[in-house]
Amino acid sequence: MSFGYGRDLVVNDVSLSIPAGAFVTILGPSGCGKTTLLRLLGGYLSPARGQIFLHGRDVTPLPPNLRQVGMVFQSYALFPHLTARQNVAFGLEVRGRSKTEVCQHVDAAFDRVGLSVTERDRFPSQLSGGQQQRVALARALAFEPPVLLLDEPLASLDRHLREQVRLELCRIHRQSGVTTVMVTHDQEEALASSDLVAVMQAGRLLQVGPPRELYDRPRSSFVARFLGDANLIEGAQLGMTPKSLFLVRPECVRVGHNWPGKIVALNFHGADLVADVQCRDFTLRLRTRAIGELAVGDKIALDLPQEHLWEIPAEGDL
Amino acid sequence: MQRISSWLPVFASVALVCGVVMAPLLLLLRVSLYEPATGRGFYTPGTFTFANYAIFADSHVLGIAGFTVLCGVAVATMVLAIAYPLGLFLCSLPPRAQSIAVGLILVPKTAGLLAMLFGLQRWLPRGMLATIIAEVYLVLPYSVIVIYIQLLNLDPTLRDAARGLGASPWQVFRRVTLPLSLPGIRLAFQFGLMWGLGAFLGPLFLGGPSETTLAVELHRQAFEYGRWPLAATEAVGLLIVVSIAAWGVPTVAQLRKVAHS
Repeated sequence: MSFGYGRDLVVNDVSLSIPAGAFVTILGPSGCGKTTLLRLLGGYLSPARGQIFLHGRDVTPLPPNLRQVGMVFQSYALFPHLTARQNVAFGLEVRGRSKTEVCQHVDAAFDRVGLSVTERDRFPSQLSGGQQQRVALARALAFEPPVLLLDEPLASLDRHLREQVRLELCRIHRQSGVTTVMVTHDQEEALASSDLVAVMQAGRLLQVGPPRELYDRPRSSFVARFLGDANLIEGAQLGMTPKSLFLVRPECVRVGHNWPGKIVALNFHGADLVADVQCRDFTLRLRTRAIGELAVGDKIALDLPQEHLWEIPAEGDL
Repeated sequence: MQRISSWLPVFASVALVCGVVMAPLLLLLRVSLYEPATGRGFYTPGTFTFANYAIFADSHVLGIAGFTVLCGVAVATMVLAIAYPLGLFLCSLPPRAQSIAVGLILVPKTAGLLAMLFGLQRWLPRGMLATIIAEVYLVLPYSVIVIYIQLLNLDPTLRDAARGLGASPWQVFRRVTLPLSLPGIRLAFQFGLMWGLGAFLGPLFLGGPSETTLAVELHRQAFEYGRWPLAATEAVGLLIVVSIAAWGVPTVAQLRKVAHS
């Protein structure tokens, strides 16, 4: 499908198939159209062209309230005039469920996201950012939608909380089996949580696949760079087919003897050491367990193991 | 030094309130406590008395007070009934159209007050309805702006969230938009109420003899009959009614408490 404001296409000819029960992450830099894509899935925007199917049913003309899709907004969008409990009950009440059913589902949803009993009757303004997020998640899950949409769910949390919440999202996904589509610009989040990652750039879907595949065998230099540190070397420089482009991840570069060079930068990260090595007319980045005494200016020789060299298909390159 | 300078604006505003509001009020209270003047002056000195306040037992004055309250409630209700849907409509317009529409709503205010009232006089036969319509017409632009700004400040993602949770447009309105715009509704109602209680030009231009408000009556006492102490007494009465109205409208928190109990 496609969507645009005026003549600019924000989502450009995107086609994506999401298996039921999967955890899919749409990954891309800010402004690439990933949130717009999510809003299209939720029914908050209508595509200019194309269709959306949910379990084989065309839901394109349906407004959000008839789509059965739960959404957690980046700002959480909790109703400030309702308590956490009333927020979570909202989706059940508007569906006309009975009081006892609402109570049961609300408590089950709170249990699932791990919000303590004392916090359930507070107003959103009395809850911390992390607690508000749990409420938003419980609210989206309470009416048991088959699909859950998460818009940058970890973006407004601080660093140590982010990893914890990410793990909880994975646990909730495993336990509930709800098909989850998450939007993020953080490649670590995407690689760690997802069954499938879809990389977007400038409104287009560049590549969709399991995290491992995207990381090891990207089809474009953009995907290669966006998913992590990448050494991209032209074939000619390696004495191979000219015009080809090769990827080798810094952690796959070995200390050896084939590519002698000089260390031009050195960064210690605790668990490992990242060294930029100038070899002839290109620079190689090496990530390794801290090795001996290295210093900027030292001479070092590197090896590029053949099995870790990945040729990026020319037509996929941007 | 710095402390004094930071208190300066506070002193200035206190002085302003005392000079512009409190002093005339005390003067008003003082005048209401003397007998009317027989010759020159506002009152007869040396005749301190509470007798003027007996007019509030007078059925004529009570009738006027009754109509004043009716006028206040009617104006406030009508203002709200028009301003709220109009505010909703304004918010639904695209941004550029919004600013044009807000300008159009304020246009009547650029015409002179008297021009507006003469204009209304040509169309409406004198009477209670004309009086109330005139007052609504005068206060409406302010009330619309109050409600429009309140609605404009509502986070649109809250409505999206409600929709996503399965709420129909009507449910979104009833459960999200309406409760979150209560502060604006309260303010607009209070505004209309105080305006309607103080109605003067509407009843004067478009009211008949039975559409006399306290403001018109006290004007008549002062400028037609020269009975300033009685006018002052009626002014104090009006002030009390308006104050009760201002404080008496329940706050949103109070409404919520009632709704929950």
